[in-house]
Amino acid sequence: MLEMQALSLRYGAQTVLRDVDLRLRPGERLGLIGPSGAGKSSLLRLAAGLARPSGGVLRNGFRLPVLMFQEPRLLPWRHALDNVVLPLRGAGHPPAQARALAAQWLARVGLDGAMQSWPGELSGGMAQRVALARALAMAPDLLMLDEPFSALDPALRRQLAACCGEELARSGAALLCISHDPEELLGLVDRCVMVDRGQVTSIALDGPSGGGHRADAQRLRELLLATGRQDTHPTS
Amino acid sequence: MSSFSREQASVFAAPARTSRAWSAAGVLLLLLAWHVAARQLGPLLMATPWEALLAIGPLVRSPQFFANAGVSLMRIGVGVLAGASIGFALGVLAGHSARLRGLIEPLRWLLMAMPPVVVVVLAMLWFGLGSPMVIFITTLMMAPGMYVNTVKGMLHVDRKLIEMTHVYRYGPWLRLRHLYLPALSAPLLAALLIAACGGVRLVVMAEVLGAENGVGYALANARSTFDTAELFAWVLLILGLVALLEFAFLQPLQRRLGRWMEPSHA
Repeated sequence: MLEMQALSLRYGAQTVLRDVDLRLRPGERLGLIGPSGAGKSSLLRLAAGLARPSGGVLRNGFRLPVLMFQEPRLLPWRHALDNVVLPLRGAGHPPAQARALAAQWLARVGLDGAMQSWPGELSGGMAQRVALARALAMAPDLLMLDEPFSALDPALRRQLAACCGEELARSGAALLCISHDPEELLGLVDRCVMVDRGQVTSIALDGPSGGGHRADAQRLRELLLATGRQDTHPTS
Repeated sequence: MSSFSREQASVFAAPARTSRAWSAAGVLLLLLAWHVAARQLGPLLMATPWEALLAIGPLVRSPQFFANAGVSLMRIGVGVLAGASIGFALGVLAGHSARLRGLIEPLRWLLMAMPPVVVVVLAMLWFGLGSPMVIFITTLMMAPGMYVNTVKGMLHVDRKLIEMTHVYRYGPWLRLRHLYLPALSAPLLAALLIAACGGVRLVVMAEVLGAENGVGYALANARSTFDTAELFAWVLLILGLVALLEFAFLQPLQRRLGRWMEPSHA
């Protein structure tokens, strides 16, 4: 379980997060929504262990939490395949098994023809697919997504979000996801919280109905508009 | 450190490879200058390139050649390897710790500011003549260059990639091998090139000043007997060794490690 109690994060005089209370149980999928600069990414960085809280309690009991960044962050001097293989090797997979698993995941995200490409030779979308393969190949019990598909075209975004959703449904992993696209987010998560000016508040959702998540997506857009710094994608 | 992108394959980018034709022209120019200088100074003070080349045959056939060359090569190898390894290891550790960096900085400054000949004289007092003295000096003089390049490189490794390796739980070995070493390959190879070439010069100098065998000792002997052709033959052989280190080993290694920066072959 991931647990945050009265958590705060400060960079110098600037308070990024304050009095955050958040709980994520195994298998739960939580969406984080909020305007730019509200502290969403900082919250994910805390959960991933990349930042230390300035106050409060943070407990992360997940065995293998994995964060997929907004940008691919591939090692430029290793082929696409090696970028997926190396974390698996670090996790203790034998070399042949790690390569087979990495190749399988790259094929699943449609990159079977680019396994031996250098990251510099890949387009932004292809590189982000390698990053997704790298994250999912690890079989995390907590997957954290920091707007990983925001720079991609809508069709690819839908395809990768669907791939993520399928894998989460199969593995039962927990999800902590930031997205600027309410429709995309609601397709992945069970519940949402709003992060604004460093504080976290729950959002009541109706859940999917005959028209999909249309009503909830509209509600999220309205909430974002109310923050005065709306930056969601336009209604599709 | 940024990765290669298609936009970088610009006609305005500086050419990555040095022109071989112009390098050959530079060698010919140097040989010509050497020849002219030798003609002006006379055979007692300077042999011509051709005379030096002819003297290599008898020198190589002399009974002491392989003993002298062998011991110098051993000293260069051990000294450069030890200096580079110590410099690199300390550089990696200091790259992770500002305190250690502060602690090492005065020693680094001292070693880099100290004239090598002072170290040679002191080492002769401490170790006497022979291999331990020469290897000590080479190690001591080579380590700071490698250390400085490693620390500078460590401080410029992309923080985002470092974070990625923490999220994906790369262990220390995996991080060193797949993040730090490739990220530092350019400054490290430049430092290794300087260390290897500097190491050859330093070993020969230390041998001239205080050894009972080795290339420097043979050079000092040739000088004392006014055998200028043999002296310059040794110079040619030393230059050949440096060229071998640079062109047959370090440059191919540099090209191999920099393959990911080459433009797409697609």
